[in-house]
Amino acid sequence: MEHLTIEALARLVDEPANPEEATHLASCEACSSELASLMAQTESLGALPDILPPRGDWEVLAARLRSDGLVQDPGLFRKLGLARTPGWMPAAAAVVLFLGGTAFGAGLTRSGEAAVSDADPIAAVATVEDAASAVRAAEEQYVSAVSRYREIMEQQGGSVSGVDPVSRYAALEHLVSVSQAAVRQAPGDPYLNGFLTSALAERDAAARLVSVSRDNWF
Amino acid sequence: MGDLFAEPKGPQSERQLIRLAADGDARAIRALYDRYAPRVYAVVRRIAADDDLAQDYAQEAWIRAIRALPTFRGDARFSTWLHRIAVNAALQSLRKADARAKREGPAPDDVPVAPGHADSLLQKRLENALDQLPEGMREVLILHDVEGYTHEEIGDVLGVTSGTSKSQLFKARAKMRALLAGLSGEAQEPHERGAEAWSI
Repeated sequence: MEHLTIEALARLVDEPANPEEATHLASCEACSSELASLMAQTESLGALPDILPPRGDWEVLAARLRSDGLVQDPGLFRKLGLARTPGWMPAAAAVVLFLGGTAFGAGLTRSGEAAVSDADPIAAVATVEDAASAVRAAEEQYVSAVSRYREIMEQQGGSVSGVDPVSRYAALEHLVSVSQAAVRQAPGDPYLNGFLTSALAERDAAARLVSVSRDNWF
Repeated sequence: MGDLFAEPKGPQSERQLIRLAADGDARAIRALYDRYAPRVYAVVRRIAADDDLAQDYAQEAWIRAIRALPTFRGDARFSTWLHRIAVNAALQSLRKADARAKREGPAPDDVPVAPGHADSLLQKRLENALDQLPEGMREVLILHDVEGYTHEEIGDVLGVTSGTSKSQLFKARAKMRALLAGLSGEAQEPHERGAEAWSI
């Protein structure tokens, strides 16, 4: 019998040989070797791993999802991983408005730098060092406020919404992209740069957590 | 800034993610993307045999899937449902005339390889050989030997009979074998079976 054709051998990878083919394979080393190669090839194809999408793939997709109206942009507090607008927020906002209004009114009655300084101490900052200190103070104040919010929520028996590592990473990624856009608009702004730096660091830490857990997904 | 986020409570269930994503929750969509993007990208990349086209096809697959999420009832596994959408999106996109024109270019010589694979050299050889297969053969070979579709399922997806699918598969395996032998530098023995055995 002549050798089996390569297509016949390809068929025998997952179909039984007829008696004539089986007899030939039993006596022909070349054909049986070729069949073994085809089987190994098929097994290797079945074991091919997944392929990571190119960098920036999500950003492109996210933009398209937004433009197609397929996502709802979460509010600020959902972006921050908080369940809802804190209960104290309306009161705090009222206080801020009151103080702001008072300061603004006071500023109108005064003149020059003194008025600006009283109304907005940050506006009086003149050096880079002082500005950096103001940024750090603002960040600390902000973090303290959020921490206090969590304490109050826990004291009241409520819980602060948690997120899984992937969702948290996604939220941070979004925060980073928003911060980057803000920095592009005001590249010299120390507060925005500081915020972006913190967001990047937090996102990278979250990415490491995600990469550990991702190994178990497939 | 570490206190801004609550501690994770544990992975959200897929059912929860799907429900939230169907409502347009950006974080849930992102979480689903993170879980399945490599799977979706792999199948469309192999069907497209082109990095740029693959990204377009993957995006199209995700858009279709997110749009169709409210219709997902959970009768099949989500991964299976999403995979079928990705395959259909890639195949339909590939059949567009502009996509065909773009395919005329040279096959890419490098395919992104998932880190940590035990035999990335073999994987690269296989991926490169897949890229060089004619379109019809490649589709059947990928769906059957890589993705595990039956000939009946392939027939449904490609609109051909299962007999045609089988015939294409055997030709594709043979062609693939020849391509791999060439790529690996193996001398193709002037086999006793004659040249016709290798002429695909």
